[in-house]
Amino acid sequence: MVKETEVLELRTETLNQIYAHAKVEFPDECCGIILSDGTREFVRECRNIQNERHAEDPDTYPRDARTAYLIDPNDLIRVHKEAETQNRPIKALYHSHPNHDAYFSDKDKADATAWDEPVYPGAAYIVISIYDREVKATKAFAWNETDMDFEEVPIEVNHET
Amino acid sequence: MAVTVRIPTPLRRLTQNQAEVEAEGDTIESLIENLEASYPGLKERICDESGNVRRFVNIYLNDEDIRFLDGSATAVNDGDDISIIPAIAGGSSDGERD
Repeated sequence: MVKETEVLELRTETLNQIYAHAKVEFPDECCGIILSDGTREFVRECRNIQNERHAEDPDTYPRDARTAYLIDPNDLIRVHKEAETQNRPIKALYHSHPNHDAYFSDKDKADATAWDEPVYPGAAYIVISIYDREVKATKAFAWNETDMDFEEVPIEVNHET
Repeated sequence: MAVTVRIPTPLRRLTQNQAEVEAEGDTIESLIENLEASYPGLKERICDESGNVRRFVNIYLNDEDIRFLDGSATAVNDGDDISIIPAIAGGSSDGERD
């Protein structure tokens, strides 16, 4: 059984990198994957292909990238291969909510769940709230095996360099 | 055609916790049928009722997304490397549900 995440420890540098990514992509949602070998953390920015999918097939993908994200499948395989070959398991997945607060929305929850269980059971989901290119709040959510639901977990900033 | 298939964590319950399994098939479609025969329940998780690969499931042949190849009809050759990886997606509360 996967150990439940009680607190998500993140390095200052990691947070700075994902905030910078959220600012660059604003007003679109940014998305990415954080790998960790236990000591170091590796931010892997991914391309949000929601706009392309929305343009190709608006019935299936009614949202554009301002209110949704979908990680580019090419980035996804690349990061998975790195996780596997470099022994850097996925620690967290992050995305931003431009002009929205830092909550785990129904869509976030639905997309993080399949076959009645979390699709990435060991990973925390980080949500960055960004208004006018200013990060307002950041929260993390992880699957709770007892409650069978996603719940907020505190983020603990690791200031060590 | 024997190939190696990477199974994502939530589906490993069906493969006796194996992260990689061997399967046979000339195409992705027949490979999925072969997987289903060895590990019942896999197909209905990978494919919808019409037999199409679910939208949130990515299947890669040697790191290429099969959506950009021939989809389920993509030919599989001996020694190919197949990965099944769930998509990562989400979004804020505005907009229509999709």
